[in-house]
Formats: sequence, C-alpha cells, structure tokens
Amino acid sequence: MDPAEVEFLAEKEIVKIIPNFSLDKIYLIGGDLGPFNPGLPVQVPVWLALNLKQRQKCRILPPQWMDVDKLEEVREMERKEDSFTPPPSPYYMELTKLLLNHASDNIPKADEIRTLVKDIWDTRIAKLRLSADSFISQQEAHAKLDNLTLMEINTTRSFLLGSLNCMFKLRSNMQPGTSTGKGPDY
Amino acid sequence: MPCERKPMRYGHSEGHTDVTFDDTGKFIVTCGSDGDVRIWESLDDDDPRSINVGEKAYSLALKKGKLVTAGSNNTVQIHTFPEGDPDGILTRFTTHATHVAFNHSGSRVAAGSSDFMVKVVEVADSSQQKTLRGHDAPVLSVTFDPKDEFLASASCDGSVVIWKIDEQTKVTSWPVLQKSNDVSTAKSLCRLGWQPKTAQLLAVPVGLKVHLYERDSWEHVSTLSDDMITQPINVVAWSPCGQLLAAGSVGGFLTVWNAESKLCVERQKHEKGYTVCGLAWHPSGRQMAYTDTVGSLGLLDDLPTASSATKTPKAPAVKAANDYDDLFDEDDDRAMDEGLSDTHSPAKRPVAGGDDDDDDDDDDLVPATGRVKNRGSFLDDENSLDAVSLALGQGKYGGGDDDDDGGTVAPPTGPPLPLRPAYEGPLPTPPQKPFQPGSTPAHLTHRFMTWNSVGVVRGYNDDQDNAVDVEFHDTAVHHAMHLTNALGHTLADLSQEAVLLACPATDELASKLQCLHFSSWDANKEWIVDLPAGEDVRALVLGRGWAAVATSARTLRLFTVGGVQKEMFSLPGHVVSMAAHGEQLLVVYHRGTGFDGDQALGVQLLQLGRRKRQVIHGEPLPLSCKAHLAWLGFTAEGTPCYVDSEGVVRMLNRSLGNTWTPVCNTRETCKGKSDHFWVVAVHENPQQLRCIPCKGSRYPPTLPRPAVAILPFKLPLCQTTTEKGQMEEQYWRSTLLQNHYSFLSSSGYEIDDEGQNQNQKEQQELLMKMFALSCKLEREFRCMELAELMTQSVVTLAVRYASRSRRMNLAQRLNELAMEKANQLQEEQEQEEEVEEVQEEEQRTPRSRYGQRESAGGHSSSRPRQAREEEPRGEEEDDPQETETLEADGESRKRLNPFARGAAASPEKPSPKPMSKEGRVNPFKVQGSGKSPSQSRVSNVLDSMTSVRRPAPLGGPSGKQSKGPVLKPLAPKPKTKMQSTLLQMATSKAANKKAQVNPEPAADRLKQPEVPPPDSPVEDSENKKPRTGFQLWLEENRKSILADSPDLQETDVIKAAMGSFRGLSAEDRLSWTERAKGQSGEAADLKKRKRAEEAGEGDTDEESRVKADENIAKKKKSLDTTAKLSAFAFNKN
Repeated sequence: MDPAEVEFLAEKEIVKIIPNFSLDKIYLIGGDLGPFNPGLPVQVPVWLALNLKQRQKCRILPPQWMDVDKLEEVREMERKEDSFTPPPSPYYMELTKLLLNHASDNIPKADEIRTLVKDIWDTRIAKLRLSADSFISQQEAHAKLDNLTLMEINTTRSFLLGSLNCMFKLRSNMQPGTSTGKGPDY
Repeated sequence: MPCERKPMRYGHSEGHTDVTFDDTGKFIVTCGSDGDVRIWESLDDDDPRSINVGEKAYSLALKKGKLVTAGSNNTVQIHTFPEGDPDGILTRFTTHATHVAFNHSGSRVAAGSSDFMVKVVEVADSSQQKTLRGHDAPVLSVTFDPKDEFLASASCDGSVVIWKIDEQTKVTSWPVLQKSNDVSTAKSLCRLGWQPKTAQLLAVPVGLKVHLYERDSWEHVSTLSDDMITQPINVVAWSPCGQLLAAGSVGGFLTVWNAESKLCVERQKHEKGYTVCGLAWHPSGRQMAYTDTVGSLGLLDDLPTASSATKTPKAPAVKAANDYDDLFDEDDDRAMDEGLSDTHSPAKRPVAGGDDDDDDDDDDLVPATGRVKNRGSFLDDENSLDAVSLALGQGKYGGGDDDDDGGTVAPPTGPPLPLRPAYEGPLPTPPQKPFQPGSTPAHLTHRFMTWNSVGVVRGYNDDQDNAVDVEFHDTAVHHAMHLTNALGHTLADLSQEAVLLACPATDELASKLQCLHFSSWDANKEWIVDLPAGEDVRALVLGRGWAAVATSARTLRLFTVGGVQKEMFSLPGHVVSMAAHGEQLLVVYHRGTGFDGDQALGVQLLQLGRRKRQVIHGEPLPLSCKAHLAWLGFTAEGTPCYVDSEGVVRMLNRSLGNTWTPVCNTRETCKGKSDHFWVVAVHENPQQLRCIPCKGSRYPPTLPRPAVAILPFKLPLCQTTTEKGQMEEQYWRSTLLQNHYSFLSSSGYEIDDEGQNQNQKEQQELLMKMFALSCKLEREFRCMELAELMTQSVVTLAVRYASRSRRMNLAQRLNELAMEKANQLQEEQEQEEEVEEVQEEEQRTPRSRYGQRESAGGHSSSRPRQAREEEPRGEEEDDPQETETLEADGESRKRLNPFARGAAASPEKPSPKPMSKEGRVNPFKVQGSGKSPSQSRVSNVLDSMTSVRRPAPLGGPSGKQSKGPVLKPLAPKPKTKMQSTLLQMATSKAANKKAQVNPEPAADRLKQPEVPPPDSPVEDSENKKPRTGFQLWLEENRKSILADSPDLQETDVIKAAMGSFRGLSAEDRLSWTERAKGQSGEAADLKKRKRAEEAGEGDTDEESRVKADENIAKKKKSLDTTAKLSAFAFNKN
C-alpha cells in the first residue's frame, strides 16, 4: 500500500461545501449526493469537493477539527502523553494536505494549520520510531499500538518489516542453531 | 499661559527616540533609531553634531562627560562628551539593552535588557558588574535610587521591582503593569522616575495614571491622574527640584503635576498627537525637552517652577474677593477648562497673564468640538467686560453649571431656568433606525450591505479601499462584481436581475440611487437617479422588474428595473424596512412612538402586479416585548415573514385573516446567552430557516466567511414534549406552511401538486394519529373535534377505527359527520363538474398537458371507487379477496411495467390512505356512480361494523390490535385474508384499473398458473359485492364443517371449507357460482361494464399516448442526469 492509495481512501471522507450552482440530487454507487443549492452547505466526499473546487464551483468549509485552537490542544496532548492520543481525524494528514493544497483560500489560517498538523505528525512519528526502537531493542515478539492512523502505519511498515527480516537473518547467522525466540519472521 | 511650546523639529528618522540634557543644560542630546546621537546647542540649532553609535540607539544617559548608549549590537557603549569619541564598551547582553540610566553621582550605570537581566556596572571599572536576575520578560526601564541604595526596574512581565543593589536581591515587586511579550509590543515604555534629592517617592506610570510609591515602606501612597490623558503614559520625569513630575503619554499628552498637592500644573498636547517616548528636564527646571516616536524633538519653555505652581491654587479666592472682573476672568477660564476636558479635575491654571496667552492656549488644548463655541462665548464676554452685573451673571452661570459639558455654553442671558417637574410615566422608546434586511451595521468598516437568497453584497470602507463586492450564491446568475464605491453607498439590495445601491445626501451631492441592471439585454447596464434635494434614501428593495425606494420625506417611489419612474405614494411614518417578492412589496414603518422599550411599527403589504391592490392596510406589526425588528422578508414561496430582536420568526397566516403566527424562536436553539442567529432566508418547502449562527454577537463578521446553518420551524404550541402536543404542532405547522399553495395558485403561479398532496396526506395522517391517540385516552369528544378537521374519506376510516375499538356512540356520531361531509363534497363536486364539463367542451383539442391532467384525474377518480369497493368487502368476505388478488397479481405482472412510473408517481399507498382531493378533480366521474357509492358506502360502513361484531373471532383480534395509536391496525384487513399482501393489494388496484380500460383479461387470467383452476369461473364476479359461490356453499356447509371439527378457529374453518369446496366436482361448483350470480351479480357487472365503456372510449388512446410520453420523458430525464454527471466528472476546465 503506498501513500497514494491511503490518500485515495481518505478522499472518501465527508466534508461540507457551499456550492455556487444548483443541481438536483445525484445518484452514485456510493450513495446519493445533494441536492446542491447555491449558498447552502451540503456534505460531499472530499474527492468531489476538490473536483468542484478546482472548477471553482464551490467553497469548502474546513472540517471541525481543522481549527487552530483545536489543533493546538491536540498537539499539546500529543506532546504530553507518551502513548498515542486519538488523532483529530483518522485521515488528518491526508485531509490537511489535500484541502490545504487545493483550497487553502477557504481555510482560515491555513499556514498555521499546516504547521500544527506537521507538528502533530512529527510528534507521532517520533513516538512511533521510539516504540519501534524499544520493540527491537527489547526483542519483543509483539506490541500493541493504539490510535495509529493508516498513513502512519503505512509510513513505518515497509521499513520496519524489512529491517526485522534483515535482523532476523543476521541473528540466525550469528548464532546458528539458536534461532528461536529472537524475533518472529515477518 | 506660562509655558511656551516651541514647534517640533526633525531630530531623527522615524522610530524610538530618547532625549536628555547635559549636566550644564547647555546641550540637548538625543538618540534615535537611525543610530545617531545628536547634540543640539538649542532647539534652533540647524547643525547638530552627530555621533554614530551603531545601527540603532535605544536609550542614552549622560553624566559627567560620559555618554552611555544602548545600541542594537547588544552592547552598552561609552562615548566621551561632548567630543563623541568612543570610550569602550561598558557591558554586553545576549540581546539589545532597552534602557540605561546613571546614578546620581554618575559612578554607576544600570542597564536593562531584553534578555530579562538588569546589570549595574561601575563606569570606572566595567569589570565590576552586578547582575539582577528575576524578571520573566524583557526589562522596560531602570532607575537608580538617588541615594544609591536601591534600583527600580519595570519589565514586560508586568512587574515593577525594587532591588537592593549591593545584595542583588529583590526588595519588593508590584505586579501593576500590563503584560506583554516584548518592549516593542508593550503598551507603555514605563520609564520610571525616582524623586531626586529627597528620594522619597518613586513614580511609576501605570496605564493612564502615575502611581507614587514611598521609599522604605514601599507602599502606594498616591496617584496622579488627569482626565485629559486617554492613553497610557509612556514616560515620567521628575523636575530637578523634585517637586514636579512630568509625564508623557502615548497619545502625545504632556502633563506636569505638583507631587505634593497632586494638582496638575501644566498640560500640553503634542502638536501632532504622536507618542512621546523621551522626556527630560533642563537642570534649571524651566525647560523640558521631549521626543516622539517619529523622531521629532520638541521643547517646552517657561515651565512653572515648583514654587509658583504651589501658589496658584489659592490665588483665585483671594482675587475673587477683591475684584469682580478678576472673578469673571477666572470663571471664564474655569468654564473653559470644563469645556475642554469634561472633567472635575482639580487642575487649576495660573491666572492668565493676558488674553493672547489664553488664545494660544485655546489653540493648543481645546479639542476641536468644543472649541468654536467656547471661543464665541469668550469673545462675547470680552465685549461686555465692563458690565458688572452681566459679569456677575456669568459668574453665577459658571459656578452653577459646572456639570455642563461646556459644548453648550450659551450667551449669558440670565439665571438658569428653574427645574421642570419630573415626568414619571412610561418613557418613549427611541424609534429604531431604518435598515436593509440582511445587513450589518453601517459603522463597521467591513460589513454586509445585504445578504439574501440571491447573493451577498459586501461593503468595504477602510483606508485603502472604499468598495462594494457583489457575489452571487449561484454563479449561473452572474459572475461576482467588484465596484469602487465612489459615491459612498450605504444601502444595497440584490435580485436575480439587478443590484440596487443608494447613498445618503452629502453637503454638495443629492442622495443617489444607482442600479446595475446586469440582466439587461442592451449595452447600458447601469442607471443613476438623483433624489430631490432634502430627500434621503432610507430603504430600498428590488422586486421582479421593479424597484422601490423609501425616502426620508416619507415617500415611497417605485421605479422599473430599467429606470422608469412609476407610482409614488406617501407612507404614514418613517420607513423601517422593506422587502419584496415577485410582485409583492412589504413595507414596515413607524406607526407612532413606542413606550417602555416597545416599538410601534405598522406594516403594509401591496400587490404591484397588473392588478394593484393593498393587501394589508397599515396594521400594527406584532413584536415581542421590548424588541425591535431585526429582519424582514418573504419566504422563498412568497409569504411575508419577519424576525424581531428576540429571535422570534413570524409568518403571515393568510388563511386566518392575515394574522402573524410565530413559527420559530431562534434564541431557543442558541447555545450561549449572547449567541444569536442572523436570519438570511426562509423556505416553506422544505421547511427551512436559513441563518448564520453568530457566537457572542448579533451580526456575523465578513471574515472568515460565515456558513449558513439550517433551523427547523417549531410553532410554540403548549406541551410539545407530549405526543399529543408534538402531533398538534406538526399538524398546524404543516397547515400553516401549506398556505402558500393556495396563495400561489390564486396569483397564477404553477404549483407543485405532488408536494401539496404529500402535505395534505401528511396532515390527514397526523389527524388520524391524533384521533387514535384520543381514542386510546377515551376522549371521544376530542375525537369528534379532530374528525371535524378530517376530510371525508379519512372520517370513514375514523368510523371504522371507532367501531373496531367498540365505541359505538362515537362511531354513530362520526358516521353522521361523514354523511354530512359526503353531502358537502357532493355539492362541491357537482359544481365543479359543471365547470369542468364546460371546460372540457372548450378544450376538446387534445393538448398533451391537458391530456396528462385528464389521465391524472382518471387515476384519482378510479382509485377511490376501487377503495370503496374493497373496504366493505374486506370485512365481510374472505375468499373473493384472495381470488381477486391472485387474479390481479397475474395481470399486473404483464401490465405493470408500462405503468410503473404512473403508479409510483401517484401518491397512493397500499392502505386506503386519506386523499383529501379525491373525487374533487374528476372529469370522468359519472353522476350516478358518484352519488350512490358514497351513499351506499356510508351505510356499508355501518353494516360492516355490525357484521364485524357478529363473528367474534374475526372482530376480536383486530379490535385488540387496533388499540395502538398508529394507523397500522387500520391498514386494511390483512388478518382475514389467506395470502394477500400489501403489495398485491397495490398491484391489484392498478390491475383493476387496467381491467376497466381493457376488457380482455380473461385470456390472460387463464394462463395464470397460480390461479387454481376452479377459481377462475368465480372471478367473473370479482366486482360484485354480496356473495360468491363459495360463500353460498360455505353458508350451507359451515355447520357440518364445524361439526366435524368443533375446535377450529374461524380462519381455519374457512381454510377447511376452501379445501372441501375445491374438492367438489366442477359441475357442483359451477352451479354454486351460478346461484351466486343469480343472486347478486347483475348489478355489479352492469356497473362495471358501464364504467369500462366510458373509460375505454375516450381514454385508451389518450392514456397509452400519455404512457409513451411518460416513458420518453423518463428516458430523457435519466439521459439528462447522466449527461450532467459525465460533465461533472470529466469536464475539467
């Protein structure tokens, strides 16, 4: 799974837009959307919101959590806690990137939000690295991490698994015959 | 006046500056943000010597030939004075120093820095440093105790700290300042001043006042303040004598107090009102130099000395006793004083030396507003100087009128008027100002000039820009516009056709009305009209094709949207607001004076179409207690509507004599007490109140762009928490919001029939629910009342419900009511039919639209008949139902598809649901059949009731079930049937309809495999009411079946009977059927045939064509959507 795929999944999230056109309900496989009344907020998936935005057919309303105060709070929490706190949204990174890249004019204080989300992301990734490090150094067989988002799992998965495999090989070579209990084969 | 303010001169480039005198008083030394220190021999010195000390100089101190500066290179440097040679670096900080100060003897220098530290350094030996740590923010200023024991410092952390220098410890600290992050953002520089000589007092500028703290006790002993000072004090400086304290404030006020008497002895204002940031006394105490934040240097000369200042307050009293003229002068002075400062400050100026001085003073000090009048009065006095009596009067005047704000100083006409007796009744309310609906107040620099359902007009009026932005919700109407607002428009309205703007009159220009008619098809998209002189536009509105403007002359002028002037008329009062919709104009004006917070508003509603008339003739507009009008408009459907400041939304109820009904209270949905909803639009279908939630305010800001939220309507009926209350609320809301249908149709608009039917159905359903609920609660009278509201068909349902729940009395009464309603209906129908027949004759030419309507009429007419036939039979008969549905099922399979849409479109449901319109629009209704079935049906209802009661097992369970308050138990008789489902019922109806049209179903029926063959002959009698062959047979054989198995339930009996009936030989069954036909089949068949003929003749062609049309339409529509969708997905431009 690459980041693009995760982003694709994130595009299914629902955001509110204010369309500037009028259209009846549209019936899609994923469900009905609309009706679109000019000036009246309506909920649509992100992919549609971005598409409409690019064609200047709507204004995107930032999701509730995409607010400087709330994100600051989340950041502080994230820094305070050792474990992962619940993310503001399961797709917070992807949505921030998508919305800020395409609709930064509709989002107040876009720059601050970008910085804050990046801070949260960095903090979480640092924690993730730390836990991966202790996982390896303590030679645990399993570990449980809560509140990870898909994107975060994705960033670490390939490297972690690869390196675990690699280490396993190295260890089993170093200590021939005693290959058990050194870490599972991934 | 004693002090002379010399004109300011350029000293440094713009930025922070500092100033001091040298020890002898010969030179003024300044430093500034250009990094230079300038040495001025006097203020007129055109060629001051400059010493460059760095990129910027923040502060300087001078004593004993040493010039110490705090520069931007994080150092504190020494230069020799007056030569200006560098003499080394005294100390360094990690960031720049903010303030430096010498001690009294000049042996030590204190420096405060932005790195939170204060350092005390020996000038002779810079290695001897003492560091004072303890501030949590950049240090603002430092000052030495003249006795060299303590040091005071102020910091951005909000504290003023006294340090013991030798021990480097805090002695005390006062958290009196406002906190800030940095010196540059601090409200005040807070330069401290320690009283020289005695060293008893420390002056600390705190906000608008100067606090004096006493040495050793460190207590706050007094406060110096002056009402002229409106912005924080930046700097304080003690006169060399230690008795006067000067302060310079952010607003550019310079004030000198006598520290002992706390009196203000001198006030000056910076000539341009710039912030004073440096202040220094001449060693003689007669001059004071000051600098401001734009780098200018100024000087006050001839300052009062401490001794003269202390004497002055006593002077007037002495003089007053001696000389009236002097008294006069004094009082005049005093009055003026009051005039300029609005105060009772104890300030006293020394007695004026001459009138010239006074005038100068005026120029300097008097705020522009009060000035002219004061001067006038002064001159007046001047002319009458010799008149002693007048002078006395003036004296009295001046004395008695201290509280007056001075702006109203009148020529001395005599003693003040005696007090009027106080009025203690209700007080009149100031009339509310006119406003545009959906606008925010005009004093805002960025505001909404209007926000309506078409778009948003925003007005910007700030330094850079005076502009109007027009934005449309739907960009298909027009693209956004940006107009420069050269005329200063304050009012705006927006419609699908045009933008209307208006500005108030100015001294030179008349009030103008500007219209941007963007939908015009010619090249001229704009027109401007000047209003007559003296008339101001107060409110304006755009309707469809016209514009209305209400002016300050209480006239209302109508224009076409192209700019033609039309009618005008006078309003009974000043306009408050206007709204328009289509051809309707709604005007709200002041009807009179309101009292005790209430407004007295009147409302007019006019129709400006071809047939102009006034609908509401200036009736009072009901408002909540002490509320004013906050929004005025129409619903999207054209019903007048308004919101008052208490958040109550009221809507015109046309069906109740044009009364106003509250439909929603927006405040109820607010979370906080100071939250409001700012209504922008109201829709009746769907029921929506579109508004913008405003947190903690009444209006939304323009940025960030507010989002519209939707509130539901809720009539404030009683007890809406109970089920009954809820349903009542729902019912009346639905009824109220349905009024627009009749209004729209009466004013010739097309209306959404389907929506209306839906609405009516919902209402009848609600009534039925309420009926059931009341039944359950044994409120039969209430049931009756509810039934009165129902349509006839629903009443019959109610009758059945009542009979099933064994309320005979109620059922009886309901039955009478139903009869009554049926008769009424009949009469109406007859009338309508006559009308329609005439129409039909006229419109024989087949127009597709008409045809559609006909077919629609056909549907609705056949359906109720069908329902009527089914209803009674369902109760008294059992098996024919089955056969009928089976047959119908078979037929509908073949025939359903072409009809699918029609069936779906017609709002009928499987259950015999109420259709209030039923029978009303029925061009095909046969006169006879119209009369008899409804009559017979009414009687049938009662018949059925008795028959239900007789077979106990049949009635029992249904009775029990129908106890529930919901409609379901009424949903037709499923329990007695064997197989029929609701779906089949529905299809059977459709099929039956079909059967009437195409009398050839026999063949189809035969092919039907599910139909048991023996049943097929019976089917011919499907439509007759009384008996079938099976029933006859059953009647005769029931006893024997029961005898065979006595413990059978009724249904089981029938099943068993059915089984054995099928077991009979074909001939036997035929004979039974024959007998049944002979008994009762004839009538029904006849009827059916007749109907079929009728419908068949005219209708088959037409109907099939309609079907085809519908199909095409459907296809088209789906194509349409796909086209749209594909455009949507792929069209990336």
